[in-house]
Amino acid sequence: MMEMIDTLMETVMSNQVSIPLIEPMLDVLPEIPMLQYMVAFMLWKPLFAILICPGLTVGGLTLLFFPWIERKLCGRAQWRVGPHEIVWWLGGVIQLLADTLRFLFQEVIVHKDAHRPYFLQFPFLSFTIFLLPLLFIPAGTIVAIQTPYAIQIILALVCLFPLFILGLGWASNSRFAYIGTVREAFMYFAYEIPFIIAAIAMIILYGTSDPLLMASRQSIPGIILNPVAALVFFIGAAMATGRMPFEIADSDQELCAGPHVEYSGIAFGLIYVLCYEKAYILSALMTILFLGGGSGPVIAGLGDLSGVLWFVVKTYLVLTTLFMLRAVYPRYRLDQGLKLGWSPMLCLALIGLAISLVVVAVRVI
Amino acid sequence: MEETEKDRNIRILHSGVFTPLRRWATKWSLWPCHFLTSCCGVELAHTGACGYDMERLGTLNMGISRQANFIMVEGTITRKMARALRIVWEQMPDPKFVNVIGACGQRGGIFWNSYNITRPSDIVPVDFFIPGCPITPEGLLRGVRAVQEKIEGRDNTTIRFKHVELPPEEGEQNRAPTTPKIFAPTPLVRVDVPRDVDWAFGNDLVKNLKAQLNGLYTSITITDKNRIAIKTTPENLVETSRKLSDTMGVDHVKSVNVIDVPHERKFMVEYMVSGYTEELMPVILTIFTEIGREAEPEISSLTSLWESANYSERELHDFFGVKFKGNEGMKGKFLLAPDTPDTPLRRDYKLEEEQYTIEEGVPLTSAITPPHYTPPSSSPSYSESELEDLKMPAYEDVLKEAEKNDEFVAFIGPHHSGSGHLRWVMRMKGDIIKEVIPDPGYVHRSMEKIAENRLYIQNVPLTERPNISDPINMNLGYVRAIENALGIEVPERAKYIRTIMAELSRIGAFFYDMGIFPLFMGHSTGFMYSFAIREMVLELMVRMTGSRCTPSFIIPGGIRRDISDDVLDRTRKFTSAIHKRLKKYENIFVYNPVLISRMKEVGVLTREEAIRCGIVGPFLRASGVEYDVRKAEPYEVYDKLDWEATTGDAGDCLGRIFGRLEEMKQSVEIVRQAVDAVQEMPRGGVISEEILGDYKEASGDIRGYLYNVYGDLVLPKGEWTSVTEAARGTVLYSIISDGESNVPYRVRIITPCWMNLRGIIEASKGERVADFWTVYASFGYFPPEADR
Repeated sequence: MMEMIDTLMETVMSNQVSIPLIEPMLDVLPEIPMLQYMVAFMLWKPLFAILICPGLTVGGLTLLFFPWIERKLCGRAQWRVGPHEIVWWLGGVIQLLADTLRFLFQEVIVHKDAHRPYFLQFPFLSFTIFLLPLLFIPAGTIVAIQTPYAIQIILALVCLFPLFILGLGWASNSRFAYIGTVREAFMYFAYEIPFIIAAIAMIILYGTSDPLLMASRQSIPGIILNPVAALVFFIGAAMATGRMPFEIADSDQELCAGPHVEYSGIAFGLIYVLCYEKAYILSALMTILFLGGGSGPVIAGLGDLSGVLWFVVKTYLVLTTLFMLRAVYPRYRLDQGLKLGWSPMLCLALIGLAISLVVVAVRVI
Repeated sequence: MEETEKDRNIRILHSGVFTPLRRWATKWSLWPCHFLTSCCGVELAHTGACGYDMERLGTLNMGISRQANFIMVEGTITRKMARALRIVWEQMPDPKFVNVIGACGQRGGIFWNSYNITRPSDIVPVDFFIPGCPITPEGLLRGVRAVQEKIEGRDNTTIRFKHVELPPEEGEQNRAPTTPKIFAPTPLVRVDVPRDVDWAFGNDLVKNLKAQLNGLYTSITITDKNRIAIKTTPENLVETSRKLSDTMGVDHVKSVNVIDVPHERKFMVEYMVSGYTEELMPVILTIFTEIGREAEPEISSLTSLWESANYSERELHDFFGVKFKGNEGMKGKFLLAPDTPDTPLRRDYKLEEEQYTIEEGVPLTSAITPPHYTPPSSSPSYSESELEDLKMPAYEDVLKEAEKNDEFVAFIGPHHSGSGHLRWVMRMKGDIIKEVIPDPGYVHRSMEKIAENRLYIQNVPLTERPNISDPINMNLGYVRAIENALGIEVPERAKYIRTIMAELSRIGAFFYDMGIFPLFMGHSTGFMYSFAIREMVLELMVRMTGSRCTPSFIIPGGIRRDISDDVLDRTRKFTSAIHKRLKKYENIFVYNPVLISRMKEVGVLTREEAIRCGIVGPFLRASGVEYDVRKAEPYEVYDKLDWEATTGDAGDCLGRIFGRLEEMKQSVEIVRQAVDAVQEMPRGGVISEEILGDYKEASGDIRGYLYNVYGDLVLPKGEWTSVTEAARGTVLYSIISDGESNVPYRVRIITPCWMNLRGIIEASKGERVADFWTVYASFGYFPPEADR
């Protein structure tokens, strides 16, 4: 028994998040019985990735506070204040908490024509499954599962998203949900191919698909090496998350929010944050592929957390840009969106691929 | 005691372990359901826009009932809308709250004795009433606060009345106005009263008409300058019209009207037609005929000749039961709800009379009967039959036909983020619109019937209610018809001030439409910027008249009171200050590449199509017809100022938007010139002395003399038609007076949006589904104005 614990502790201790700032504290810990093990587990890199960053804590906080940031920034752009009164001395920062709790306590209506089991399953199922890519995304050097095929796996999981939206729409059995679902399916094919090609271009450029190696090989960030692929990837992310010029599937004024028109209560609450979840993951991916992941000037005293910090800052930068599109653009029509996806974006993606090949060739020569 | 629907919400809020959390969360997350029911929606939009910013309170406007928990009933609930309100309320998850805003929502407000009004409190449980017509955004925010306090369990907002004994009044001066209404029992109603006018072209035209219509007409009379009445028989109506259409170039119908004359056992049916040729533009030819008042009166429709008569004929079929043979829409009701009284505009359908004094034991009003489908408050669920009753008409034949052709049908509205206050039945094949069928009348408040039962002066506030985003122009039309009838010349200063206000109103309406358009495109920044500019216009309105949207400032003979130099100075500054903000708005929205790609070559109406559909105003000009009432038949001081009417020839959404933008800039120019002129003018009377009679001292300010001067206004016998260029097009008022009563015998109001409805349908045919909203918004459609 003791041997087993020792072996386990050895594994855990060999892969710790090192934070010089709190090391004096850790030195005191062995005197307290159980706490030592608990802290050791918490600082074990895979677990840290799942629980803290980029996993549940940072992810959850993003979902809870990012909509507020978005609403506040849009408010500034629109000559107004945005959420304010709820805690006026903090600028209404817990607005989303109130919204979430309200959804939680509200009635969930399942209407007569809906397919009841699927109607109720899909929001919860999709919310959980959408969290999976976070396992493969490294924050600095901290990652839950390290594999050389991480990018491919993330892309595969990201491609699952629209399927769940289709499921939601189908289970709703409503006219607007039907139109919205069909639009979602169309858009899916339009952005997915250029989007994947852009990612592949970067994999070719770096010669690896391990996110940690990718970050180390970006002495010059990917966005400078291959700006075309970055552009395609960014537009693809905007399309995938249904951001403004491409808010075609769930356009509020045309289709009453399309696939999720019939959802209420916490089921809608989950769908509402789904798009933020998706945007968070895609922004993280963009950070890894184009912005050098967690690389940046090391902040003394933070150790591994320095990388985490840079990663979060970069991700939020991308996320904010993505969401501020709302303040600038009206939405495209379905056919315009499709046209954009199938012709200019596909061409650009191929050009991006070519650029990558050229860069690789130049390096080899 | 049985639990009422209202108590249920509170019980849900106050039960369970998490009560404090639940109450706190609900309080700060009241999402109002985007349910536009009437014109108070204009002020709701202002509350949501950047001036007041409802989102500060955590109140985010949500388009979908399933996800909202709060309804703001915006004013009038008509019988047709009542059903929709109940459905929306049922769709919302518990706990849910209802605020009723506006005077109409309480007891009908200005429409209290209309045949189409219900009380929202009969249909859904109401938490708070916010009075005002319309409410101010401040009032609306206070309403949200009141609900928040209610959720907390506090109640500081409800006004509690105290019962006080008042001593009997002394003297006569403070009494409520008691001008009695005089209804002539058997009036002689004529629409072709001849009048001597100096109009050389008219005399030639009559000669020409007599030669052309030889044998088809009974009489041809000049009733006023630019107005000619042609009497014919029902058999010859179509033939006369065809002759006019073929030989004279008459190409559109301005108005269709039916006048009920029960004591002579007849209906008079009249078509007001005109042509968009150079000389015919200001002229209105009234073709009228008389038909018997039997059980099912019939007359041939002129829809085959002039498409623009279509919807007006269907509307009159609802109102009078007159069947227009040849019009396809004669089967069911068009504007009215199934449970509205049949043929309500006939003279024998009487509205409840107004009471000026309250007698002991007599209820104040009993006019509003609740709609029959209100479910009992005790049972939480519906029986099958009750559910059937609640459903809206489903257009079975459309559904069947669509199924046969492998098409998809969507019912859009009246509760839909992008429908406004009416319902569209959209048939689509793939992403292409096959046909859009309108189902209007959700805000039909029976303006025409009410106007027949009120004094001429009491109708002034009424006539601006259809369109509170453009109130001055609506008023101006009605008042000009009266002035024309009485032959009053308005003082010069008043004319200039009227022009200033009319143009400000036009600017305001432009920015209203240009705020709703971005919303339909999903561009909230454009909405905010636009309403920020509109707020400047409303600020000026408040300073001039004291009211944001409903000033009722223009009265027969002039304006209520002179406006101060300070306000004129402000208006002058506004004309230069607007440009800076306008530039920002244009940069973010109008010249946005995405928007331009959405609008270009979408919803094209060629010149011929536009005339055939009968669309009016800037939208007609965008299709290349140079018809602007301000140029064609100048009124006020438009002929003394230097400005240009804008015309385009593209006829697509982009053309319509850019045309209106250009027109708005011209309006700013007009305001600037007019303000300069007024500032140089000596101060003096602003009300014509001809109408003041013995009360000459009121010429600078009517306050205190209004009923003395205007109470017993009687118009000369005949039909008085005025045409005015409102913000969204030509508004036509046609007042028929019998010369004896001090109330009009019939008032016909044709608003621009009602005429433009046909244009929206035509323009969106064959476009993509998403383009429907581009087309719809580019027409600046304002349903309360269309439904009247």
